[in-house]
Amino acid sequence: MKGRGQQHDLTLSQQLLFLKANPTVGGVGTVRANRLTWQVPIQPTALARPYLATVTYQPGQSPDVQIDDPDLEILADGRPLPHVYRDPLRLCLHLPGAREWTARKRIDQTVIPWTYLWLYYFEDWLWSDDWKGDGQHPGDEPEPIRNRARRRAVARS
Amino acid sequence: MNQMLRQPLTDNDIRRRKQIFSILDELGEDLDLTETQFDRARQSYSAVGDWLSGSTDPLLVSVLVYLHGSSALGTAVKPIGRREFDVDLICFCAGIASGISPAVLKAAVGNRLKEHATYVRILEEKKRCWRLNYAGDFHLDLSPTIANPLCINRGELVPDRALKEWHPTNPRAYKILFDDRAALRPTFTGKIIAMQRDEGTVEPFPVREAVKGILRRIVQLLKRHRDVFYENNTEDVAPISIIITTLAMRAYAYCVRRHVFEDEMDVVVETIRMMPHFIGRPTLDGRRGYAILNETTDGENFADNWNKDERRAPAFYAWHARALSDFEALRDAVGQDRLSLNMEHSFGPGVTGRVLGNRINTVSEGRKSGLLSVAPLIGLTTSKVTASTAVPVNTFFGDR
Repeated sequence: MKGRGQQHDLTLSQQLLFLKANPTVGGVGTVRANRLTWQVPIQPTALARPYLATVTYQPGQSPDVQIDDPDLEILADGRPLPHVYRDPLRLCLHLPGAREWTARKRIDQTVIPWTYLWLYYFEDWLWSDDWKGDGQHPGDEPEPIRNRARRRAVARS
Repeated sequence: MNQMLRQPLTDNDIRRRKQIFSILDELGEDLDLTETQFDRARQSYSAVGDWLSGSTDPLLVSVLVYLHGSSALGTAVKPIGRREFDVDLICFCAGIASGISPAVLKAAVGNRLKEHATYVRILEEKKRCWRLNYAGDFHLDLSPTIANPLCINRGELVPDRALKEWHPTNPRAYKILFDDRAALRPTFTGKIIAMQRDEGTVEPFPVREAVKGILRRIVQLLKRHRDVFYENNTEDVAPISIIITTLAMRAYAYCVRRHVFEDEMDVVVETIRMMPHFIGRPTLDGRRGYAILNETTDGENFADNWNKDERRAPAFYAWHARALSDFEALRDAVGQDRLSLNMEHSFGPGVTGRVLGNRINTVSEGRKSGLLSVAPLIGLTTSKVTASTAVPVNTFFGDR
């Protein structure tokens, strides 16, 4: 978005319109009391389960994504879920401060595809116990992702 | 078949089951001889044939060495726990009358192989055949045969285990019959055809054309399932490959000629379900025995051992029941993790990890190169699809 300084933050109504208009995004939603809510069915691939997700968004915050159904923790069967925020349980889809998400970006073009991706790696993780989607956890050394993947691979072999 | 009782498949079921078959197809390819291995085996066996033909031994005047067994049929499967494939060869000594002793002919072949500076070092004597060990790649098992004058189908005779008698066999006619049946194309219901037409250009991930046909994949997958099922069993009662192959090809031909199928997974499961119907139960010495006959020559019963060892028939039925329920579970799996788990149980962790790892890498590579998108009905895809939404770069974050 560099050099396009004239762009403004998208309003909740604009986000809602984009969500409704995008042919890859199903679901329904509303804007009420300065808060966008969008409930969307997501099936990452034909092999995956159908999930129901709810996106909530208030100006000045990042959109939250919760999975309403099925229950992720039941599927994980006691294992701690990777890449989530807790209380309430939400997916961690982007690195805060890295401008992967900004209020100028469209939810239907960022948060929704990232939810597909999260659920895709999640179902593999359920079986393999290995999160193959890369990423960072709070407190991680800010080192290149590739090195970390290599170190994990060495530890596994 | 219970066709009437089944719920009709949804469009999503059809897409899901198509992907499952595609994954099983990839699994079969992973278990197969590679093109390079096959070429090396072909070069090696044609060199062996030339060497045997060059012998001055009158027993070996007109020798034909040809491929038989799974590498000839296209149903080879990587063995569990070792690298070498079995490549079976017939050394057909066409000029010999049936009076000769199997032991004498086998010795003549062995003596000729020992005259070769390389073969003598990699030669190993087995009960009925000679083995040439090409370490790390494959071994060639060379069985001598002679013409069977009683067979109207140009069959052959092969030594028995004790090297005392000749037994009828007909590998060349068997291969022709198998290839004919493998070439039969199943008929699918209009629904899947319409969907394939509408979505014909849309594959979630690049899929190769299934050149092998369904029958060869079924045989490969069943053999691998058998290997895993009997991996830790030391009784040596696992059903032999020729039995699995014969029952599968008969069941496949039967089903394909009579049924209209929902999709490939339907063909796989119904073929497996029908296999036991082709086991004959003749009365032998006053008892009901078992017969899985070679249809291409008289007198070869692949289930001979079932009549000598009473553990073998139950071992087949136990394995078959498990195979049927495992393939039904594969067909019906919803959730990548459930499919992965079923595949691991059925075919082993190694090949499952390789095949599913390749798929995940396709997504991860597409993500890095910006080619990954989300398409309506399909979900994540690396194919170019109109009306899809690109997946932008992100870094998953959050608590561990």
